[in-house]
This record gives sequence, structure tokens and C-alpha cells, in this order.
Amino acid sequence: MTIARVRPAIFFSLLALLVAGALIVPHVANRGVVFLSGVVAINVVFGIAFNLAFAKAGILSFGNAMFFAVGAYCAGYLITQQNHLPFVVILLAAAGCGGLLALVTGLLALRRASGVYFAVITLAVGALVHVLIMKLNFLGRNDGLVGVNRPIIDLGLVELDLARGDAYYYFIIASCALLVTLMWVLWSNRFGRSLQGVKSDPMRASFLGIDIDRKRLIALVLSGSITALAGAIYAPWAQIVTPELAHWSFSTMPLLFTLLGGSAFFLGPAVGAILFGLLDYATRSLIGISDLLVGGLLLAVVLSVPGGVLGLLGSLLARVRAPSSPRREGRA
Amino acid sequence: MTGISRRGVIAGLGATSLAAPFINRRAFAQSGDAIKIGVVTALSGPQEFIGNFVLSGCQIAVDQINAAGGVLGRQLALEIRDDRANPAEASAAARELIGLGANLQIGTISSSVALAMGPLMTQEGGVVITCGAGTEKLNHENYNEHVFRPGDGPYMRMRAQARLMAERQPEVTSWTGLVPDHEYGRTTWAVYVDGLLQFYPEIAKADPEILDPIIVPYGAGDYRTFVTQAARSQAQGIYNSTYGGDSVTLFQQAKPFQLFKDRVLMDSANEFIVAGALKGDTPGHWTGIHWYHETNKGNPLSDQLYDDYVKKTGNTQPMGWVSEAHAGIYAYAKAIEKSGKSDTDAVIAGLKGLEWDTATGKRLMRAEDNQAIKDVELIYIEPDASGPLGYKVTDYVKVDGNTVIEPPTPGEPMTLRKPS
Repeated sequence: MTIARVRPAIFFSLLALLVAGALIVPHVANRGVVFLSGVVAINVVFGIAFNLAFAKAGILSFGNAMFFAVGAYCAGYLITQQNHLPFVVILLAAAGCGGLLALVTGLLALRRASGVYFAVITLAVGALVHVLIMKLNFLGRNDGLVGVNRPIIDLGLVELDLARGDAYYYFIIASCALLVTLMWVLWSNRFGRSLQGVKSDPMRASFLGIDIDRKRLIALVLSGSITALAGAIYAPWAQIVTPELAHWSFSTMPLLFTLLGGSAFFLGPAVGAILFGLLDYATRSLIGISDLLVGGLLLAVVLSVPGGVLGLLGSLLARVRAPSSPRREGRA
Repeated sequence: MTGISRRGVIAGLGATSLAAPFINRRAFAQSGDAIKIGVVTALSGPQEFIGNFVLSGCQIAVDQINAAGGVLGRQLALEIRDDRANPAEASAAARELIGLGANLQIGTISSSVALAMGPLMTQEGGVVITCGAGTEKLNHENYNEHVFRPGDGPYMRMRAQARLMAERQPEVTSWTGLVPDHEYGRTTWAVYVDGLLQFYPEIAKADPEILDPIIVPYGAGDYRTFVTQAARSQAQGIYNSTYGGDSVTLFQQAKPFQLFKDRVLMDSANEFIVAGALKGDTPGHWTGIHWYHETNKGNPLSDQLYDDYVKKTGNTQPMGWVSEAHAGIYAYAKAIEKSGKSDTDAVIAGLKGLEWDTATGKRLMRAEDNQAIKDVELIYIEPDASGPLGYKVTDYVKVDGNTVIEPPTPGEPMTLRKPS
């Protein structure tokens, strides 16, 4: 499981493990934990979508919250105002809106800036989206959209009522697993490898005939669309959509998941999102010090393990495999 | 050097964090047969100081009720969670507490959190009492029978303020506002204008002149442009609905411009926040307050609440959110006594139409829209450089809630008078 590709056997084993773990949750934990598990599953998609652009194409975006918010608001608006639309259409519309916003941002900024400069532009566009949301009446201004009900999916012969029991939770797990699989395909296939080339050595990639700007733009649009889909799935789960989703501070979340889990690994952001969810839950009743504890712990991990948790595990495994290396003997 | 390694510290912190939920669950299981009430409020972040008043009010009410024998022979027990004024955090905490048996919840301050609670409580089978959430949508467009507001809504509060001005300052007929560019700010100004347009002709026998309000940015550090804009206005009265730190900054920056020197200042809801920060620099102003102990002197519940609060915290100037939470816990206790049970449906039935005693006097929970009818309290604060606090309350009034509340229209938006 490296930056270049993840072997199918390893990927599907790990995905099966994660899905199995998620499916057990409603049977052993209370409603709050089930809700948080759903949020973590969505955060897994949020994090990997960010890392697809960041680790693969070298696009550092500080504005991913805007894609998430656009997806959530699109779904929230269509569910509350156009509830005759099939949920699948709503999800596709949300993905389209996220993709469109990413396309506009990319066309505006990608050709002119890269690295930190591009990140600052995404931050500015994100702030603009946040302000726009707070000023638009049809999006509920500061109060957001309330009453975003969980939908019924009509499959012709049978109807799936996602409002009943834990049905929407299982829908989240299934759809997030599908999206993670889609991103794994993008990460590991020829497109992913060409992105890797663009990031590693843009000049050489250009000499090889790769249209660098186009590849970066496609990576950003894919990342934006998938992030918007995650937002659209989140809206009926929380049943409310508020401007906080578009705030710049929310854009730090996928970055945090990625750094915590390890940006060089496809499932690094997934590990980061799960660990962050566990930490957040574990410290929920330590009022006043929970943020300090979570922040301190994350800082400790990021500073002491620059490759993230998976990076640490990788180096530990390497040590186990080569226990008598000259360096270790010298230290001993 | 020592036995403490970096990895050891990290591993220890991680293990401690991961073990915490199980420690909590065990502690919870020891609460026995008590009626569990979940407190989900902002105990960190920008609304933390309000959340702490809410928590104190809940704890004092529970201690008082338990000391008097509990409810139907059972003790009350609080389970506390921090929502950081964030709907997602509040959703997770509320669901978790319902899973742990705390179907009765209290403490919501933030409007967006309060609005999120309705669908959630319907789905999960809980009920929530808010403690200061200001949005009018709670008992209008987004009315939900699982959400109750025991305090004054924005419609009552702002119209009571306009009524008081028509009574006390009939000569001040031209008004403008310092209104934050925020949903809450615009709503409060619109309702205040509605009150001016009704009460000035009725009481002061004069038509008010409504000047364009000055819309100020939310959370800005420099308000001088807006202060000069307001200083140029011909308005004799200024309505302020900026809040907290924004108000402190704005009032401080307005001082050199003498903005409030010859004008009447009506503040929507800062209670003692501005005065506590500015002390001797506080301009004389009226402000809305959920509860002021001097106004309610002689009411045994108010006197006891004040004494218990001072004993518990050492703070002699409690703010009104203490009383909102206190009244909410008493509402639960009375509703459980009334219906004989503590399950959600019984408590909802018990709360609807409930008349109960609180630190501000009797309140009635209107059955149609879950909005309490209570008197609206207002205080006048002036600087007092020689006093211990730097400011003092020199006047206080109650406006009869029945004279300023709107008719119940759950599911429908508010309808307001507008200047022609």
C-alpha cells in the first residue's frame, strides 16, 4: 500500500475489515456512537478525496470545505424544496455542483498558481462561498436549512425507506465503501500513475506528453465532486445544513486526517479520520480540556511521526523484518 | 536520563483517551434509579460563558429539587455534554444521551443547534428545553412539538423594549439601529420596528420615524466607520443588537465620537456582558435580561436561586441564563409530576399548557407552539466609577408578557409591521 498503487488483495481485505467493523456498530453501541460512526465514514471519503489531489497531484487546497458545503446545501435544498426528485438525482446534482465549483476554482487558479499560492486562492474562494451562503435567503442564511429528511429510494419493485431505523446508516456505509473503491481505482490505475508523474517531476511529465494543467484540473474536479457527494450524503444524516460546513476551519479537517494517518498511503486519511473520531469521542466528557487533549495528541503524533500513523507502522514493520541492521547494532 | 520516553508519553496519552469512554459509562451506570436529564450546551468556544450559566442553573435546580425529595420520589441526575455551539456535535451528544436513557434534555443556546434538535428529537424519541436560543423559527416555521422554549422569544423581548420606550421616552420618536449582518440581528431589528410602529401611536400618540439601520459586520475589530455613520444620523434613539465582544468593541470605539451622549440606547440582550467589560466606560443603556434578582426580590424561588448561585460560584452578578436553565429543570419536574411518568410522550403532554413557578414568577407554556408566556425583564445600567463593579443598575422593569407576545402560529412565519 504505497503512494504508487495499492494491491487489490490488500485493499479489498482492509475495506472488508472496515465495512465489517462499521456494520457491527449499531448492534453493540448506542445511538450517539452510531451517529458518530456515520460521520467518521463520511470523513473517510472527505479525507481520501482531499489526499487524491494532495498526495497524487500535488494540489494543496485549503478550501475543501466549500465543496463539502456545496454538496450538503445542494442536497439540503433539493430535499426540502424539490422532494419529488429521486435521491440518486439529488446526489448526482450535488456531485455536479461540487465538480463545477472545482472546475471554476481550477480554471481561475491552477494555471496561475501552485503550492502555497494555490492554497491561499482556495482559502479565499472558500471564504467567498461561506459569505455567500450566509447572505442567501433561499439557503436559510445563518440558520441554514432545517428539516433535511432522510429519503425514500424507489427501486421500481421495492422502496427503501432510509428514514426507518438504521437504514440510512447502512446506506452511508455502502455508499462510502463504493466511493472509496472508486478513489482506489483512480489512485492505482494509469490515470493515478500519470498524476504521480505530474507531481514528482512536472517537466519530465510534460516532455513525456502529459498535459500537466489538464491532469491537475481533472484531479481537482474529481476531488471536488467526490467531496460534494460526501457532503450530500451527510446532509440527511445530520438533518440540518449550516454555514459552519463552509467555514475555513472545516477545511483543516481532511488535512488533519491526512497528516495523522499518513499522506503517502491511500488509506492514510481513513486511518486519520477513524483515530480522530475515537479521540473526539473518548474526550467528549472531559469538558474544558478535550480540545486541548485532542489538539496536543495530534500535535504530538504529527511532530513525532511525520509519516503519520501508517508511516510509523511501516517503519516498525521494516525494523521487525530487518532486526540486525548495522545501524541498530551500532546504537546498541 | 530518565525513564520517560517520547513514545511512552504518546502511548500513555492515547491509552488514557481511548479508555475514557468506558470509565464514563461505568460512572453513569452508578446513577441508579434517578431520572436522567441530559445537559447539552456550549461549554467551550465563543458561547462558553453562557453555557456555564446554563450549567449552574441546571445544577442548582437539581440540587434544590433533590433536597426537597425529588420528583415522584425519584432523584434527578444530570449527564453533561459540551456541544461547542455546533449542530453536528450537539446531534451526536443528544443521540448518545438518549441511548443512555436521558430522553429529557436541556441547555440549547445556539439557534442553529435548537433548530437541529426538532427533527432529531422526533426521530430519536426525546424532548429538549432550550435556554436562550433566539430564533423566532422555533415556534413558527420550524415548530416541532419535541422542542420547548421556557423563556422569552425574540418577538416578545423586542416588542417589550419598544413598548417600554413608548412609555418612558415618548419624545424619542426617531430611531435607527446598529444591526449585525446576521440573521439574528436583522430579525431583532425587524421586530423592534414592529413594536415601535404599534406602541408609539398607541401610547405616545406619535408616529415614529424609522431611519435606515446601520448594518455592521459580524465579528469585526474596527467599527469606527459605522460609528461615524451612526453619529451623523438624526436619530434620537439607537437600538443595538450587536452582541458580546462585538458590542464591547463598538461601544468602546463609540466613546470618542460621543455617539450615545444625547441619544437613548436600547440594547437587545447583552445583559451585563458590556458593562462587565467596560465598567466605568459603560454608556447608560437599557438592556433585555432573562432574570434580574433585584427585580424579583421577594419571590422565594428567585431569592433562593440568587443565594445558591452566589454560594456556588462566588459571583454576585449572575446573568439571566441561570434562571432559564433553572426554570427549564423545574418545568420538567412539574411536567413529570403532572403526567406521573418520565417518558417522552408523557413529558411532552405534561409540558404543554403547564403553568409553573419560576424565579421570574409564574410562566405558562403555551400548548399550541411550545412558547412560554412570561414577563419580559429590562434593566437600565449606568457607569459607577466609585462602585465595586464600575457600573450599577439604576432602574428595572417588567413588561407583562401577555401584552407583547404574538398569537400562536406554529408552522407559519411571523408577520410584522413595516414602515411605509
